Amino acid sequence: MNNLILFVLFCLIASLLYLFMTWLTGLVLGLGSSGIVAVAKVTFSHAIRMKIAVVVLLLLIVLLPLMSMIIDGDGTLVGKLQTFSSYGLGLVGFLLSILTIAISCFTLSNDLKRNHIYLTVTKPIRRFELVFGKLLGTVLLNLILLTLFGSILYGGILLIPLISDAPHSETARAKHEFFTARIGLKPELDMETLSQKARERFEALKTKKQLPEGMSVSRVMAELHSEEVMKAKSVAPGRQKVWEFENVRIKNPQDPNTVIFIRYKYQTSVEPSDGQVFGQWRIGDLRQYDAGGMTTQIYGIDRQEATRTVHEFAVPADAVTSDGYLAVAFRNDPGLNRTVIIPEDVEVLYRTGTFTGNYFRVIVLIFVQLIFLSILGIALTTFLSFPIAILFSVSVFFVGLINFFIIDAIEALGKTMFIVYNFIIKPILWFLPHFDQMYQPGWYIVDGKTLEWTFLFSTIGTTLCIKGLLLLLAGMFIFSRREVAKAVV
Amino acid sequence: MVVMTENQYAIETISLTKIFPDWWGRSKVIAVEDLNLKIKPNEIYGFLGPNGSGKTTTLKMLLNLLHPTKGAAFVMGGSISNPKISARVGYLPEDSYLYKYLTARETLEFYGRIFGLPNDVRKARIETLLEMVGLAGMGNRPIGTFSKGMARRIGLAQALINDPDLLILDEPTSGMDPMGTRQMKDLFVELVKRGKTILLCSHLLADVEDVCDRIGILYGGKMQIEGTVKELLLQKEETQIRVAKLSEQSLQKMKEIAASEGKTLGIENPMDKLESFFVKIVTHARQQKRRTSGADAGTGISGFLADKPVVREETILDKLVSANIQAEPEAEVSVDVTQTETPRSKPVDADNQLLQKLSQRTVESTPINPAAANNKSSPVKEEKPEVKKDVLNELIGKKDDGQTEITHPEKNQEEE
Repeated sequence: MNNLILFVLFCLIASLLYLFMTWLTGLVLGLGSSGIVAVAKVTFSHAIRMKIAVVVLLLLIVLLPLMSMIIDGDGTLVGKLQTFSSYGLGLVGFLLSILTIAISCFTLSNDLKRNHIYLTVTKPIRRFELVFGKLLGTVLLNLILLTLFGSILYGGILLIPLISDAPHSETARAKHEFFTARIGLKPELDMETLSQKARERFEALKTKKQLPEGMSVSRVMAELHSEEVMKAKSVAPGRQKVWEFENVRIKNPQDPNTVIFIRYKYQTSVEPSDGQVFGQWRIGDLRQYDAGGMTTQIYGIDRQEATRTVHEFAVPADAVTSDGYLAVAFRNDPGLNRTVIIPEDVEVLYRTGTFTGNYFRVIVLIFVQLIFLSILGIALTTFLSFPIAILFSVSVFFVGLINFFIIDAIEALGKTMFIVYNFIIKPILWFLPHFDQMYQPGWYIVDGKTLEWTFLFSTIGTTLCIKGLLLLLAGMFIFSRREVAKAVV
Repeated sequence: MVVMTENQYAIETISLTKIFPDWWGRSKVIAVEDLNLKIKPNEIYGFLGPNGSGKTTTLKMLLNLLHPTKGAAFVMGGSISNPKISARVGYLPEDSYLYKYLTARETLEFYGRIFGLPNDVRKARIETLLEMVGLAGMGNRPIGTFSKGMARRIGLAQALINDPDLLILDEPTSGMDPMGTRQMKDLFVELVKRGKTILLCSHLLADVEDVCDRIGILYGGKMQIEGTVKELLLQKEETQIRVAKLSEQSLQKMKEIAASEGKTLGIENPMDKLESFFVKIVTHARQQKRRTSGADAGTGISGFLADKPVVREETILDKLVSANIQAEPEAEVSVDVTQTETPRSKPVDADNQLLQKLSQRTVESTPINPAAANNKSSPVKEEKPEVKKDVLNELIGKKDDGQTEITHPEKNQEEE
């Protein structure tokens, strides 16, 4: 019952917000008297009056609050928050992208197809201004819809802890792990040394004539290489592994309330019968053991945990030295474990800002993506018809969603077809947008990871100021040159 | 303005040619071939031709919607892609091509803003134009709900919103009811009187015949013949005499006179044209205030469009009768141009004090319009002031802005 009231309230607030924002935009656009703004206003009103916008609106207005009630994740509060935010942001990003593609491909091509353009281009407005006006209208629509759904989602995320009667421990965990903005540092394996080691072993096997028969050289090398990697990662019983981190820049490290987080996941060579392993962790400047004398704290954490799930614990931030050095050691206690443990994805996290600030940057990241898609759609329709342009845009969008996967998948081509790969495929893939991995909103919000301003600005720089601008200029150029009327005799 | 004085033609094409390749780029269709069109400022040029003769293609090249295969097209001495030139041109395409989801007012708002008209000027003009085209009560209805003729009226309104010096009209009366057609034609005459140039493209010969100074007939993309309406249509072999009803004896005498020259005299009572008849019936219905959801009667030329000195004293019919046809166009044009520029430099002044100015103008222009009415011999034109008086009654009862009728000054002064 309580939830129902909240849901109705949500819909009401969302609708009011929507009406207010469209009204405000109309008003603001009504003020200017330039042709660009006039075109933007008409484009905007058209999109608002088109049913496609209404459908997406309804879909999101219904789906989003509904999800906050249905989705549970792993049952914990953090799980709920993570599932809701990742699905919510994913859904908003996806639906708005599709909507943007549809509208941006539609607006100019429809003007051309229905000859509305005859009346516009014969008036004192330059054609590039017309294209820009169209873009402005689409972008404003994006801005409004994104603000609307971003706000709804934000409200939903903040509401979840309030409406779920989670115990205090879970609320605290949510505060540390979800409602935060943390930077994660991951140690990198020294691949160069590992390859070197693999090569040496290969040479050794070769001289001893112990190379396995019937296997190609590259396959043997690959196996040796992965063996070396595994060796470097794994910790046998009785052994210890140390990861070292530099540049751990924490605000107020001496504040007893400031904490750093260690996040990891266990893999085992042999799965223990109860699926649990014991870990002994030491966090701090471990060099002090050899040097003698303690200036910073070293913390020890011993816990028994399940394998193959991500775990996290916090230690006070004063473990980090003043020059930002931190070591994390993991010891596989032979008295407690009988298997080789491979601690994977070890990461040191520390808070850099607020959840709200981070959420805002994530929304800006989505906005950048939508602006790019708007430019793409409008630029394409300066010379393509609606169906072709939308097909192309959707393809680009989906390639963008799996761009890193594609790059990984065809990396091997680089060796065999060097020229084709480096001079054709790579530039094309570079030019295509990236909407996956660190370019997708869930990447940050789900784990409370900081989306840094520097990264955001560099994304804006490459996605909009380089790729977007090139597309836009090309579109404007083509549109200024082309005949807008059809050949009718 | 500078461009205008350098070039004496409002529209000029030099050896304009458009060839459309077919889908494969092979066999070609010649849409327009070697067209040399010269339209002087301040004339109504009728561009005629059957379907597919290349009229619209020519217009599209003039408007830079199509690129000529060969030759060049100049509008006001330059290209329409120059905003300075397009700001002085109004264009009504063959279909209205308006955004269906916008209301009539929003549509005019949109185009007004593209022309960069300041807010107050734009608002005033929109109201004036809506009144003028008879859609004042329907300003907030989406264009999509309009009939073709009503959309056409909005199309015309958008072509006039910038107070253009040159109007390019493609089939302006298509889909219009006879009342609308008549009002539109009257409007064209009034506009040209105030120094505007009109290129009227049509295959409705009656429209062209009624209003145009010169016509050109296009066929197969080539200009077949060009000249003044009078030159082309005058029947030199016949004489027509119109008098009020005569007695039998007088008729007999006239027959004798004709016979003395060896000619036969045909005598018959003139018939009303269907157009005139229709206008009469609808006017009557309007006087009885029948409700309609369709277009209302327009108010004829008014507002900012009427706020112009009359540069062509003689009416079209005068011209047709008089022998000396193009007496003074160039000299008049420069005057006209400066006049049209003035309101743009201080537009608020021009449009806000509309009524005041208008009433002054009305007095000035009083002698012209009765003269025009006298010269129009058909019974309909005699009756036209009646129609407008009625419309005025309705309008002035509700509104006090510049919707006064310039052709009817007495009424105007009475109301004030």
